[in-house]
Amino acid sequence: MRIVIAEDDALLREGLVMLLGGEGFEVVAAVSNPQEFLAAVARHSPDVAVVDVRMPPTHTDEGIKAAVEARRSHPGMGVLVLSAYVEQAFATELLADGARSVGYLLKERVGQFKEFLDALKRVASGGVAIDPEVIAQLFIRRRGPLDRLTPREREVLALMAEGLGNVVIAERLQITEGAVHKHISSIFGKLDLAPTDRVSRRVTAVLRYLEG
Amino acid sequence: MTRDAFEALDRLAGGLGTALLAFATLTGWVVVGAACLIGIGLPMVQPMLSVTRSVAERERVRLGRWGEHVVSPYPAARPAKGWRTDPATLRDLIWLAVHGSFGLLLGLLGIALPVMGLRDASFPLWWHLLPDGETGSSLGIPVHTWPGVMAVSLSGFVWLAISMMCSRPIARLQSLPGRRLLTPHPSVDLSERVARLTATRAGALAAHAAELRRIERALHDGAQNRLLAVVVMATAAKRALERDPATIGPALDRVQIAAEQALAELRGVVRSILPPILENKGLAGALSALATGSPIPCDLSVGQLGHLPLSVEATAYFTVAEALTNAAKHSGATRLRAEVARHGEVLQIEVEDDGVGGAWERDGSGLAGIRRRVEAHDGSLTLTSPRGGPTRMKLELPCAS
Repeated sequence: MRIVIAEDDALLREGLVMLLGGEGFEVVAAVSNPQEFLAAVARHSPDVAVVDVRMPPTHTDEGIKAAVEARRSHPGMGVLVLSAYVEQAFATELLADGARSVGYLLKERVGQFKEFLDALKRVASGGVAIDPEVIAQLFIRRRGPLDRLTPREREVLALMAEGLGNVVIAERLQITEGAVHKHISSIFGKLDLAPTDRVSRRVTAVLRYLEG
Repeated sequence: MTRDAFEALDRLAGGLGTALLAFATLTGWVVVGAACLIGIGLPMVQPMLSVTRSVAERERVRLGRWGEHVVSPYPAARPAKGWRTDPATLRDLIWLAVHGSFGLLLGLLGIALPVMGLRDASFPLWWHLLPDGETGSSLGIPVHTWPGVMAVSLSGFVWLAISMMCSRPIARLQSLPGRRLLTPHPSVDLSERVARLTATRAGALAAHAAELRRIERALHDGAQNRLLAVVVMATAAKRALERDPATIGPALDRVQIAAEQALAELRGVVRSILPPILENKGLAGALSALATGSPIPCDLSVGQLGHLPLSVEATAYFTVAEALTNAAKHSGATRLRAEVARHGEVLQIEVEDDGVGGAWERDGSGLAGIRRRVEAHDGSLTLTSPRGGPTRMKLELPCAS
């Protein structure tokens, strides 16, 4: 899998190159600012790009802007945005063009390497990866209707919102796939959402609902 | 003594400048007054009041530059009012009359004395160049003979001596009306002080917010990123260990580098919030460490300070640190002198160098930040730095504990 990395902190960039390179990914470019990132994407057409949120010049949300732009020009490419802290607005901005091939994770998730690799692969193959922290924040903000869900259903909803599929959810919660399916139907019923099997539509639906 | 006299002359020259402005404004008032008598001057009164106020403000700034902090009676936001209702405007006008007349005469006298002195003292050198019959002393007494010329020269030295002795008292006398009349009237002092406190409190909050932003930025861009690098590198090392233990070396090296950098960043941030040395050694010890570390040799004298609030100590520490840094960067000085003393409820700090002077305060400079900090404590910071030097910074901080 061919990867472009955009991260302005030199040591961190080097670390990501080392880590992903060691896993057999082909890191075709590692750059430090949005312009070089867009140029590298245009030149290499990678399968997936890993982008830091804070980049020069203002170190606020240049990474998000660049990621959104890259997604527009290369719709097939996956974009995984890494951030030092979670900001729900960033997730919303990223998902605005539709929840496909996009991820938004806290930087330290890299440390849970297996999950990180899963997320990266999911994003590269058209899926979604949203950080549990973002989901937790959304849950805190939108109480009301969620109170109707059972604790188990809330767990399922949270994992769904992260972008995970039924198999993985079943694995994580150590229940059968059939049970997951039942919970999801129940959640959609309680939240008045149309049930669908497509992961991305589930995520959009969930996030859109949570945002109000 | 000589230096004092030169300083006083510099001061008199500045005073003469504002006195000339005051005189011009006074003349303007006479014209407007006359125009009012025939009924056409009234529209000019308001502009003249504004001019008067700006001349008075210039004098306040001038006095402030010489270390005589004159608090403006006008809060920045208040629009100009007519003099009938505002006692401060009336006091400005009285000052204008005094400074534009007596102040002008004093300024001329103060400057004329040394000029006459120099002219007469050097008279023997050039009197023969003058046409016959036109030679004479500064006072116009005709002189045609060598003994007379020598007497003129002698009188020149007398003028210079008088100038040396009197320029300081004259300068003080000249600035007296300003010091008395341009400050708020005693009766309004309290309400003005409340207004000032409100303003400085807002300044303190702004300084606080700016400080928080700075700390957040320092933590995020520094320590947090370094620690994230530690996590990433440690993960890489772990994976290397699983695959091929021989390749783990470089990854572990980088883990160590990143962790050390994180520590250094954290230390820097902690030091910028509250220098640990203040807690360990107190203000005197911390200042002496600063003086020892200064690239320009610094003579430090610290009096009995007693117990001081920690916030006052921190402000004093950062002020001296800033002064030393600025001196090292810009002054070209070879020697620094810092005096720290407590007079009752006021902590006084003076830092002086023997450099080239010309220091000024930019917006957003370290000094501007220090000033906000000082004003938040209701203290005052004065920087005098005439071109040619020396630069002197004086800090007064209330320190009731």
